[in-house]
Amino acid sequence: MLKTLNQRISVILVLIAAGYLILAFQLPSYPYAPVDADLIPMVLGFLLIILAVCLYFSKDSETEEQKARRDIPKKDIGALLAVFTFILLYIMLLEILGFVIITCVFIFFCSWFLGYKKHITNLIVSIVFPLFMYIMFTEFLRISLPQGIMPF
Amino acid sequence: MKKLIPLIAMMFLLLIAAACADEEEASGSGDSGDTAESSDWAPESPIEIVAPAGAGGGWDTTARMVAKVFTEEGIIDESIGVVNKAGGGGAVGWAYIAGQDGSPHNMFVASPPLLFIPLNGQSEYGHEDFTPIANVIADYAAFAVAADAKWDNLNELFDDMKEDPSSITVVGTSSPGSMDHIQFVQIAKAAGVDVTKIKYVSDQDGVGLTQLLNGSVDVFSTGVSETVEQVKAGTIRVLGVTSEERLEGEVLEDFPTAIEQGIDETFVNWRGFFGPPNMDEAAIAYYEKKFKELSDSEAFAEIRGQFGWDEMYMGSEEYSQFLDEEKENIQTLLDELGLGE
Amino acid sequence: MGSIEGILTGFQVAFSLEGILFVMIGVFVGTFIGMLPGLGPISAIAVMIPITFGMDPTPALVMMAGVYYGAIFGGSTSSILLNAPGVSGAVATAFDGYPMAQQGKAGKALAIAAICSFIGGTVSVVLLMLLAPLLSSVAISFGPPAYFALMLMGLTAISSLSEGSTIKALISAVAGFIIVTIGIDAQTGTQRFTFGNVNLLEGLDFLVIALGLFALAEVCTLIIKRKDLSQDTHKLGSMRLSKKDFNEMKGPVTRQSFLGFILGVLPGAGATIASFIAYITEKKISKNPEEFGKGSVKGLAAPETANNAATSGAFVPLLSLGIPGSGTTAVMLGAFLVLGVQPGPLLMTDRPEIFWGIIASMYIGNVFLLVLNLPLIPYFAKILKIPRPLLISLVIMFSIIGVYAISFNTFDLYMLLLFGVVGFLMRIFSFPAPPFILAFILGGMMEQAFRQSLTISNGNLMVFVNDPIAISLLIVALLSFIFPLIRVLRKRKG
Repeated sequence: MLKTLNQRISVILVLIAAGYLILAFQLPSYPYAPVDADLIPMVLGFLLIILAVCLYFSKDSETEEQKARRDIPKKDIGALLAVFTFILLYIMLLEILGFVIITCVFIFFCSWFLGYKKHITNLIVSIVFPLFMYIMFTEFLRISLPQGIMPF
Repeated sequence: MKKLIPLIAMMFLLLIAAACADEEEASGSGDSGDTAESSDWAPESPIEIVAPAGAGGGWDTTARMVAKVFTEEGIIDESIGVVNKAGGGGAVGWAYIAGQDGSPHNMFVASPPLLFIPLNGQSEYGHEDFTPIANVIADYAAFAVAADAKWDNLNELFDDMKEDPSSITVVGTSSPGSMDHIQFVQIAKAAGVDVTKIKYVSDQDGVGLTQLLNGSVDVFSTGVSETVEQVKAGTIRVLGVTSEERLEGEVLEDFPTAIEQGIDETFVNWRGFFGPPNMDEAAIAYYEKKFKELSDSEAFAEIRGQFGWDEMYMGSEEYSQFLDEEKENIQTLLDELGLGE
Repeated sequence: MGSIEGILTGFQVAFSLEGILFVMIGVFVGTFIGMLPGLGPISAIAVMIPITFGMDPTPALVMMAGVYYGAIFGGSTSSILLNAPGVSGAVATAFDGYPMAQQGKAGKALAIAAICSFIGGTVSVVLLMLLAPLLSSVAISFGPPAYFALMLMGLTAISSLSEGSTIKALISAVAGFIIVTIGIDAQTGTQRFTFGNVNLLEGLDFLVIALGLFALAEVCTLIIKRKDLSQDTHKLGSMRLSKKDFNEMKGPVTRQSFLGFILGVLPGAGATIASFIAYITEKKISKNPEEFGKGSVKGLAAPETANNAATSGAFVPLLSLGIPGSGTTAVMLGAFLVLGVQPGPLLMTDRPEIFWGIIASMYIGNVFLLVLNLPLIPYFAKILKIPRPLLISLVIMFSIIGVYAISFNTFDLYMLLLFGVVGFLMRIFSFPAPPFILAFILGGMMEQAFRQSLTISNGNLMVFVNDPIAISLLIVALLSFIFPLIRVLRKRKG
């Protein structure tokens, strides 16, 4: 039943649409509008189901180039996951450590991890860039970025 | 394996840094505890004013103007920063301030949405969770119609609404249950209109005035200052404003109040400043004094004139009472409409 | 002939030493802030407001206007070079601008963007000057039914944004529409799909979606391809445009200067919608639509012309009616008020030096922008010479600052990361991102306009038929939907 990729995607989409529809049907009603807040979401939910069913029966129309995009070597998947973990840590620590420190750390290690070997240049860039952005935002534009544990 | 070195190194560094941050914070909060005792309190670190909305809105403008006058007139020596915490119509910013329990260096600017949004169930924090410091300015609502509309005063409009409510549409910027809607409902109710029959549409991005001018809607519920220029140009007419007495100023003085048309009701769009929960008495007293000074300053009077704001100073105690009353009023209205929690 | 005198006064103001100086400062600050990630015209203007306080209103406002259109002008740079649109008006620019830069023609892409922005900006200032007083009636002619029809017309273009499978394009669009239903519903105050999270009450910000689906998804692709670098992507390429390029630009630039201006005049439509509609109309009427999305000159020229033309257009309702048509012009209105100037129907007669001064200064501003930007292109394009690993880290940092500067809240950053993943998955499974973003922009406005119309008419659907503008737009929408169908059917018969 789930032979082709389209069929598998279709099933996932139907599940998403079903979940969305359940939430849409639970929306509280508002007495004073002829068209309530739940109408459009319901239409969208059903539309997504219909389209997903169409996708289920549609033939694969992808070009070779599009198919090739899915050929990701295992190693690169690892790299992607690692970078996303870096970003996650970046976000989690942004307000704790402050913009400058965490950004320096992020740029330096992320670039190193992705294969940038000139450590001196890397270090300079990863310190100068965040500092420049920080000073520009806070001093010149008066838009405050998280200060964190920095003294200024 | 070589790949892992930067990964591990980064984790390690972050762990150390995070640990440092925790310590720093812990020691920081210890400091402020014992200094707040003295009665003659003054700020010892930069003051942060939160505008719980994006740049450029009413809250943001008020906060920035107040900070500017405080600094430029030398009323407060400590530096003052305005921080935008947008989201949830203010709820995100309020949650942030609620987390600064007891801090004497944080405050935020607020107006009636601080009452509306919790009542609509959109924020777990309401005005009673914070420390009212002082109210500074007041603005009023105006109800405008197109220049060629058939109504000459509020009573004619409300009479028509009583007869055929489905023929009249009111437009405002906020969603139902919030400011532009409730300010109209409040006055209409006092005039005896069945408030559950009022047709209200919300139009963001300031398109409300457009809809009034092209005849899509009949009444525009908005702030007084938004109407002045259009009235001068003769494109719209203001049927009534919600202040106690006639306002001062060119054009403004021509707007009839609801009260003088026999509708005994007012609506104030107040704007003031609040501190986090459990702010120290001494700090409140300090800021109350400073806001009074600000309110009386010539520089701020000039700003008020520029934006068409009215002076309305209230100290902490009076403010808090005023808010309780306002909240009760709104609650009654929302109950009647079947909105709110 | 009051208005001719007015125009002359305007030129006097604009060409005075003070006028020229402040326009220069304005456009310089504007392009600069516009180029910064996440800082669009709104922040640019808001940042400048306290600075202008106490200044003489005429030069101050001339400067503010410069900041505004300068920020739009500058916004396209990061779209083209990094696929990271910092301003919503520059999203469509990335569709063809980024592929062009990837093909080693970054210099050319930036030059086209600058020239088209200049022409779009200048043509629309001429229109603004000639027609502003007349157009004020056009600006208010659209009621909710007409807006609904306009947005629907924009949405019919979704199929033309597909990369092969129409079904997949439609699914993307529905998904984008579903995302925009999150948040408090303006017509009822109902919370939809917020799961009690205050951060979702106002819905997701456009930049979160755009930077996630475009910039972060691109980062993923770059990570995978980081080793097999073809040298092309590092190349700047020549900035010189060939005769053929100019010939290709001619059509879109002429048409979109006008169309973009008109859409800009309509409150609520603005630069973003103008740029999308420009892109899809040019694709529809093009003889070789298959080139769009792969670095087409037309595909870059159209949105860049339109977004700048729309920016001047937005001054019509602002200056002549005092109606801010968008978040940006609302902040601009605030800037006027701070300086004690109330825009509105009386501005032209009461303060002609301000009304016409701003308009006249926009000619100079646009010239400055061109002169300022063209020589800098080789320097901007150097960004592409940055080694890949470092560039990836910097793009991530830019996206993070950009999103953080919207609400100063890490929740949006997690959403950014989530949409980065979604964007990458969409990419590898061949679901196109442009329909998603188009439905996100138009869908929300379409729903609100639809329901406002029905509230006003007490639920009567005839409201869409009785409104002459709405019905004409609906017919156009229907035709643009039917024609491709007929073409397909004919092909099958043949």
